[in-house]
Amino acid sequence: MTDPGRRFVSTNRRVREDRRFVAGAGRYVADLDIPGTLHVALVASTAPAAKILGIDTTEALAMEGVVDVLTGEELSAGVAPLMNGLDTPRVRRFPLTVGQIRYAGEWVAAVVATSRALAEDAAEKVRVRTEPLPFVIDAETALGPDAPPVHPEHGSNLLLDKTFDWGPVADDFAAAEDRLSLRVTWGRNATVPIETFGVIARWNPWDEMLDVWASIQMPKYADQIARALKLPGNAVRVHYDVDVGGSYGVKRGIKHTVLVSYLARKLGRPVRLIEDRLENMRAGDAQGPERIFDIDVAFDRDGTVRSMKMRALDNAGAYAGRAPFQLGKPIGAIVGPYRIGSVQYRAMSVTTNKAVQEAVRGFGQAPTNYAIETMMDRIAAHLGMDRLELRRRNLIRADEFPYTIPSGSTYDSGDYHTVIDKVLAHADYAALTAERDRLRAEGLCAGIGIAACLEPSGGNSSFEPLLNENNRTSTWMEGSRVIIDALGGVTVTIHTTSSGQGHETLAATVVGEELGIDPDRIRVTRPDSLSSLPGNSPVGSRMAIMLGGAAARAARDLKRQLVAIGAHAMGIDPSEASYEAGTITAPDGRAVGWDELVDIGHRRFHDLPPGTNPGLAASFIQQVPTGVALPEDGKVQMYPCYSFEFHLVLMAFDPVLAKPEIRRYVIGHDCGTVINPHIVRGMTLGGIAHGIGAALLEEFTYDDGGQLMTQSFLDYLMPSSHEVPSVEIVHHCTPSPLTEFGQKGSGESGYLGAPAAISGAVQDALSPWGVTVDKLPLRMSTISDTIADAETAA
Amino acid sequence: MHMDIAGSEEIEASQQQLWEGLNDPEVLTRCIPGCRKMTETAPDTYDVELELKVAAVGGSFNGAVALSDKTPPAHCRITVSGEGTLGTGTGTAEFTIVETGPGTCRLDYAGEGEIGGLVAGVGQRILKSVAKHLTKQFFKDLRKHFDDTRKDAGAT
Repeated sequence: MTDPGRRFVSTNRRVREDRRFVAGAGRYVADLDIPGTLHVALVASTAPAAKILGIDTTEALAMEGVVDVLTGEELSAGVAPLMNGLDTPRVRRFPLTVGQIRYAGEWVAAVVATSRALAEDAAEKVRVRTEPLPFVIDAETALGPDAPPVHPEHGSNLLLDKTFDWGPVADDFAAAEDRLSLRVTWGRNATVPIETFGVIARWNPWDEMLDVWASIQMPKYADQIARALKLPGNAVRVHYDVDVGGSYGVKRGIKHTVLVSYLARKLGRPVRLIEDRLENMRAGDAQGPERIFDIDVAFDRDGTVRSMKMRALDNAGAYAGRAPFQLGKPIGAIVGPYRIGSVQYRAMSVTTNKAVQEAVRGFGQAPTNYAIETMMDRIAAHLGMDRLELRRRNLIRADEFPYTIPSGSTYDSGDYHTVIDKVLAHADYAALTAERDRLRAEGLCAGIGIAACLEPSGGNSSFEPLLNENNRTSTWMEGSRVIIDALGGVTVTIHTTSSGQGHETLAATVVGEELGIDPDRIRVTRPDSLSSLPGNSPVGSRMAIMLGGAAARAARDLKRQLVAIGAHAMGIDPSEASYEAGTITAPDGRAVGWDELVDIGHRRFHDLPPGTNPGLAASFIQQVPTGVALPEDGKVQMYPCYSFEFHLVLMAFDPVLAKPEIRRYVIGHDCGTVINPHIVRGMTLGGIAHGIGAALLEEFTYDDGGQLMTQSFLDYLMPSSHEVPSVEIVHHCTPSPLTEFGQKGSGESGYLGAPAAISGAVQDALSPWGVTVDKLPLRMSTISDTIADAETAA
Repeated sequence: MHMDIAGSEEIEASQQQLWEGLNDPEVLTRCIPGCRKMTETAPDTYDVELELKVAAVGGSFNGAVALSDKTPPAHCRITVSGEGTLGTGTGTAEFTIVETGPGTCRLDYAGEGEIGGLVAGVGQRILKSVAKHLTKQFFKDLRKHFDDTRKDAGAT
């Protein structure tokens, strides 16, 4: 896989962050010891919907160690509402609810005390008088005319209803030889990191500065804090040198941050809030998409898919936030890896009395991929065609790239047929099929699942202006700075927190590659937000492309400066000089070494070429390679790069117990040039484990009374080593023509296709009974009940 | 979270004695598990304070109890609502007392409740057995009350 021209990119090098994590020497927000810190515990609502008649804080305030009890009424008078991505100004959200409770567990009041334990004790003594209100849990019910509106001021539960017609949908449907309809449902799961969200805020009245340390992964975090607190942008300083213990989208505790920031200013003391597991599960506002897909698809009898109509109805929970945009991102890959000529897409988002939805790995792409792949399996079953043959017939061919899909995005590169062939050869598909049939003959349910999916990467936010015309965002840049110090050391900066993506390894590797210096000798630092270049944080599978691009371009600028200095010193033109591992060489063999270049750059202005600045520093702010324009006619270029993954799974289970067992898991993965193979492998394996959770186990379940039934790991089931099999990864590399090294994103790999593949395998296993499964997660009980019902009916 | 509760208990007491016992705040305070205090706020309406501890889970509740549809000495409806550190609960139940012999009777009860908050979300698996346990405790103490009353009567 190593490119002969590259010394460090794609090579088998350790992930530098792993050393401190493995040694237990990470520095998380809870590890910070800031003197005088006060602690917050929250008063959670018990009802899913209620009017607040009064909050009695007397008893709590009189308790030991209690400093303050804050209610929504006071807080909302002092801060602006939290950011709402949509144009729904009457759907207002504050960290503590004001006047009305909108989901079970919602924060009603915050108790501040000298320790968390004392704050928790006092929170139990805050009396909240309420009057129950009608509530709604189900998205389709919420759409009904009689449904109680979660925000009465907004008038209905509908947050977003936008229909796009890309291409001649009606004509293609009329011309197609056959069609079918299906409905699939994606259950509400998330990423549920082991480290819950945590934040500390400190206000210094003499500097008029708010310092924030947080377990955060969020674009424009500092800006959002400043806006909510009505502070100038340069009065908020977010410290990025905090390790984040897992996120994959959900670590967006803006409500937590605004709450503690307000308290820190009010009380003149540092204030800290670290969620416990219950707070995190029920009211961390970190649950993922929950989506019903209704699909009509038109195709010919030879399997050619001509057109698709998809309606996606998403349950946003109690507030709008940024979650409805998760219906927008999949527009960039709405046809998956297939040539589908026209598409109608209707995106609907509704409020319900559930916890607020937040971004989860893939930002809506995994549910959409599950819907598309289930559709492909159904077409194959309908036509009596082989599932692989149907896919091969519709896949975009390698010679068709760059390929523009009906919704306006152009796929950069790919070779889907080859990846699939490599996986089938690796797995010995004929033998795998024979194995499935052998298991069936033994009386087991056995099935093969396949999924061919895309991972759009290099995140811009083009879906924002697409879904909200008031939004004019057309850049989602990322910056980096590289300096060579006066002793010749190289330092590269990252302007965000990281939650396990290995950005330090990434930045050091690409800068090392550009400068020809061992990456282990390069220092990586994280300045605070006020010392940082603009950036948009690690979202949208973008950092290999964006931070990698910015750091490489800054290093290249520095290399240009070094070449100019060296050439000047030897009296030659820079175009004649060559650069190799920090030494500039003239055609006649003369050379200027690193120490001399550094000495000139830092001390000898008189030896600098004219027009060259002293100091050996360079910055670069990388624009997303594509997606630079606003949408036109409902079409826009979304993410620049498209990674491909092909999953092949063999599952088996007993027809009565139905405990699914994955017998074989092979994934073919093409994310272009791999910067660090260990990071990509880790992402893929973790993503598959996450996908197994979404397919079989994980769900935030609410009962008919609006209560969350999965608040702890006893009930919210996470995949463990028992459920996650050994995974075989088959690599392929189709470089992107749009990025510095040909890299694409891989931060969402595995999760984007695993649920579709596993669902397909269960479906194949159930095929002898002629029943379909169409809702995730597929719990053991659902599978065994489905079989039992089918046997009873027969 | 919805819960149904129903059962029948044989009690060694006359229909009249059981009726009086079930309408006596002092008796109820002694027999309702964890009951600290019962204060009459209006006829047949009480404020109650409970301190419950079941296995590792404990907490305090404040609630209101109201008796209605009374047909002495045979039938009554009880409405309970409460909230506390662990969650909230509301419920109604019907009681019927049937004489089964001299000095014995049977109490039939059936009701339903709605549980919210932490108890519902985290306690769902144990909630039914906890309810059963608390009901058993109540009748155990109620029987003990009638035993003690008989002993006292025998002593005098």
